[in-house]
Amino acid sequence: MEIRDNLTNNLVVIKITGDVDALTAPEITGHIRKHIEKGNVNLITDFTEVLYTSSAGLRMLLTAVKETRVRNGDMRLVNVQPDVSKVLSLTGFNNILKIFPDVDSAIKSYE
Amino acid sequence: MANNSLKKNITLVIGSGAIKCAASIGMWQTLVEENIEVDMIVGCSAGSVYGAGIAMGMSVNEIKMWSERTWTTEIMQDYLMNLKASRDGKLKFSEASGLVDDSILNARIKMILEDRTFNDLKKKFIVAATDMSNGEKVVISEGKLFDAVRASIALPLIFPPWQINGKLYVDGAASDPLPIDTAIQNGAGIIIAMGFSIDYKKKMKSLTAVQEQMTAIYINNILKASYAFNNLAHHSEIFAIVPEFNEPLSMFDVDKIPGIIEQGAAATRKQIPHIKRLLSSMD
Repeated sequence: MEIRDNLTNNLVVIKITGDVDALTAPEITGHIRKHIEKGNVNLITDFTEVLYTSSAGLRMLLTAVKETRVRNGDMRLVNVQPDVSKVLSLTGFNNILKIFPDVDSAIKSYE
Repeated sequence: MANNSLKKNITLVIGSGAIKCAASIGMWQTLVEENIEVDMIVGCSAGSVYGAGIAMGMSVNEIKMWSERTWTTEIMQDYLMNLKASRDGKLKFSEASGLVDDSILNARIKMILEDRTFNDLKKKFIVAATDMSNGEKVVISEGKLFDAVRASIALPLIFPPWQINGKLYVDGAASDPLPIDTAIQNGAGIIIAMGFSIDYKKKMKSLTAVQEQMTAIYINNILKASYAFNNLAHHSEIFAIVPEFNEPLSMFDVDKIPGIIEQGAAATRKQIPHIKRLLSSMD
C-alpha cells in the first residue's frame, strides 16, 4: 500500500494505492491526522487505485471525515472503483461522504 | 505488519434471505476448502436453517439436499384458502396466527434437526429471532434447536409465530436481517457476514404485491443501517460476502439452488485473499 501527497490549488490530494483494510487503515489514518494537525482540513482522497476496502477501511474513512468536519473542513473522495463503491452503497456511507468522479471536480467543490 | 491485538475467533453470520441463503452452502464449502476454521455461527431467519446445518457438521451435499426438499410450495399449504377467508372475514386473526398450515414446514425442519439441543452441536451456534410483543431482537443459544430455528423463520402473517416459554417469536429479520451485533457481543473477532437484500418488484397489481414491496423497502433499509452501525462498532474486520444474482429469486426456485450455491462460493472466493492476508498477519 502506498500513500502519495500532491498539492494542487492549495489543496492536499492524498493518493492511495492498494487495499484499505485492517492492516493498512492505521497508517492511512495516521497520515491523514498529520495533515489535520498541520491545519490542512480540506482534503481530497484519490481512490483511483484502491480496489478493495473492508470494514476497517470504512471506519478509517469516517474517522477522517469527522475529524476534518469538526474543524470546518472535509475529506472528499475521488474516482471510487466499483467494488469499493458497492461497499459504500451497502453501508449507506455514500450518503455521508462526498464523492466525485475526478480530482478537478473535487477541487472545484471546495471553491 | 503483525496485528497481535486482533483475535482470530472467526464467526460466520448468515442473515435472512429465504432461498438466497443457500449461497451460504457455497460460502461454507469454500471456507472448508481453504482451511479457514470457523469458531462460531450466528443465523437469522432462513440463515438460521443453514447455520444449524453447518453447526451440526452436516456435509455440503446433505445441506444442499435438505434445502431442495424443504423449499417447495407444499410448505405454503392452505395459504390461498386462508388469505381469501381472512379477506372475507371468515378467518379470525390473532397474534398467534399465520396464513399457512405450518405442519409440513415443521416436519421438514424437524426431520433434520430432530430433538437436538444447542449442546449437541459441533460449533457454537446462536439464533436471532424477534419478540412479537415488543419487536426486540432475541438471541437464542440454548434449548431445542428446532424451537430456535422455527422461531427465527416465522415469516410474519405467513407462518404462525412460534411460542417458546410462553412468548411468541417471529422472523429474526424483523428486528435485524443481519445480526452482526450478536456476533460482536458474543466475542467474535473476524466476522464473515453473508446478507441479502430483498428484490424489488417492477410492477404491483395487488394489495399483497404492494405489501411485499413495502416489506422489501423496510427490510432493505434496516439491513443497510444495521450493517453500517456494526461496521463502525466492531473492533476487528467484517468481511461482507455479497453473492450476485442475475435474476430475481422466488422462495421456491429450488431448481436454482445449484446456481445460488455457486454464486455464494464465487463471492467468498473474492474475499479469500483478503481474509488470508489478515489471518497470516495474526500468526
